[in-house]
Amino acid sequence: MAHLVELRDIYKIYGEGLESEVRALDGVSLTIDKGEFVAVVGQSGSGKSTMMNVLGCLDIPTRGDYLLDGTDVRELTDRELSHIRNKQIGFIFQQYNLIQSLTVLENVELPLIYQGINADDRRDLAMEALERVGLAGRVKHRPTEMSGGQQQRVAIARAIATKPPIIMADEPTGALDSRTGREVLEFLQQLNREGSTVILITHDNGIAATARRCVRLADGKMIEDKQQEVDWF
Amino acid sequence: MNIRQALKMAWRSIWGKKGRSVLTMLGIIIGIAAVMTIVSAMNGYTEKTMEQYAAMGSNKLEVYIWNYLYDEDGNSLGKDYFPDLYDYCNSLKELVAGVTPEAYCNATAVYGTKSSANMEWEYDDNGNLLSSRPQLYYGSDQYSACNNLTLAKGRDLTPMDMERYNQVCVLGSEAAKAFFGTADPVGKAMQFNGQNFFVVGVYAPRLTGEAAKNNSMDNIIVLPYTARRVLGGEAPEQFVVKVKNAESLAEAASRIRGFLKGLVNPNAGDTQVYSNDEWQQSMNEQMGMISLVLGGIAAISLLVGGIGIMNIMLVTVTERTREIGIRRAIGAQRSSIITQFLMEAAMLCGIGGIIGIGLGTVGSYVAGRLMFQMTIYPATWITACAFSLSVALGIIFGIYPAVKAANLQPVEALRAE
Repeated sequence: MAHLVELRDIYKIYGEGLESEVRALDGVSLTIDKGEFVAVVGQSGSGKSTMMNVLGCLDIPTRGDYLLDGTDVRELTDRELSHIRNKQIGFIFQQYNLIQSLTVLENVELPLIYQGINADDRRDLAMEALERVGLAGRVKHRPTEMSGGQQQRVAIARAIATKPPIIMADEPTGALDSRTGREVLEFLQQLNREGSTVILITHDNGIAATARRCVRLADGKMIEDKQQEVDWF
Repeated sequence: MNIRQALKMAWRSIWGKKGRSVLTMLGIIIGIAAVMTIVSAMNGYTEKTMEQYAAMGSNKLEVYIWNYLYDEDGNSLGKDYFPDLYDYCNSLKELVAGVTPEAYCNATAVYGTKSSANMEWEYDDNGNLLSSRPQLYYGSDQYSACNNLTLAKGRDLTPMDMERYNQVCVLGSEAAKAFFGTADPVGKAMQFNGQNFFVVGVYAPRLTGEAAKNNSMDNIIVLPYTARRVLGGEAPEQFVVKVKNAESLAEAASRIRGFLKGLVNPNAGDTQVYSNDEWQQSMNEQMGMISLVLGGIAAISLLVGGIGIMNIMLVTVTERTREIGIRRAIGAQRSSIITQFLMEAAMLCGIGGIIGIGLGTVGSYVAGRLMFQMTIYPATWITACAFSLSVALGIIFGIYPAVKAANLQPVEALRAE
């Protein structure tokens, strides 16, 4: 059976051929199977964010093949890539990335709007996701009226509202205190136990230790890929 | 993403920045109001004028015989050419339906306590004519035939009235009302500059329905042109020839031109024959020209308004780069982003257009009152065009910012502050 994610010799090079050429990803190969919990760890500048952008179909690699569920994403149109981002992947960002002018509920509904789901079903799905993160009582608030931890929970609700098979979290705890950070990580574990594939990008070894598999990047190259005992903190 | 969602998003974004939205719309509002005012005022004026011309009848030739000769005191030595013209035209029975002088008589008309000197042009608050001053015309027995008049009461003028210098007159329907109210004027004597003239007939109103009420067109008194012997006035220089049908116009015009050449000594005067329809056409063309020039100037203000929309939309796109990145990340296609921003620009302009149409309606009313003393409201097609135009402007000037928004790379857009 095909892997859920398969990177084959991926390069992402900025300003190729120039003196100032930057190899954000320098020949990375990696496979991830359904149901895994993978931490991609590395220092700032190691290429882990680029990796996440490539994995999340937000960016196209300069060279190399990326097969997502057996499909080569380099051959896909913008429309198809948008579709994948919408249905297959749920993004959680360090800076939450909520739209400030929309209410909590509207933010969570947004990916469902782009799926063309009718208003009633949309509301039900969004409320379901908000209940899971414990924010069903604050749906009319604006993101700015909430704490960082609450905003991140809204972002998680948005990511899971479409019930995507893959959750991608880019430094999801980076802007949170350790207690709320741990809640977020526990939630990701919970999602993984329910069958979601979780890819967690972090610079923090302590956080990487909560994943069963740890992929370490440095200077755009993969220097370590190990299965590990979960060190639950 | 469906249209309803896009509309909702656009509305929220516009409403969220009310002050800026109104300022952005100003250009469109002013432009649309200006175009509406100009086009509908001109259109209304032309339409109403043409309505009156139609009521007075078409297929008319205007004939001018100008006199060059004056005595030492500046009095015209012009000869009365009308009897000759009358006889000639009446010999062209297969072409001509009637001929009459068309000249104002400046006499004051009096009946009992009512005097035309006390009758003034008055309008109500809505610009409808309440009363006008009756106009006296010198005519022939064929004045009615030339001006689409039909007799309601009594008799019309006759050739005999001319020959015998009879002091008689026929009243238009409004003039009859003004002097006699509901009483029958036939047989009554009126005084024109103190001279007794007997009313022999009353014409039926030429306009029907609402337009017939208080219309100045029927506020007329027609008297035999020979009455100038007692009431004064120079020999008539302007005449109207009514031809049988449109096909007769050219032929009748050329025959009459030929006849007048032989009739009037080129040293004593000059002659000219116009087709009334040509005159109408040239007036139509002139009005069209004026509309085009004024409309063009107004259109420039619309263009400027449109560029204003484009500027603000570009600013909006820059401000919302991160939002666009987020939307793209969670699955918005390029087309969804384009739809969103186009919809916003179109709605902005659409709302501006509606306000502009409101102002333009007021504007065309005011312009109609001030310039033409008419009540003019924009025609439905003008309103529809103005609205479509404003939405189209929004779409045209929204395309560039919308495409720019859609072409942002999701990764870079997400990185924006």
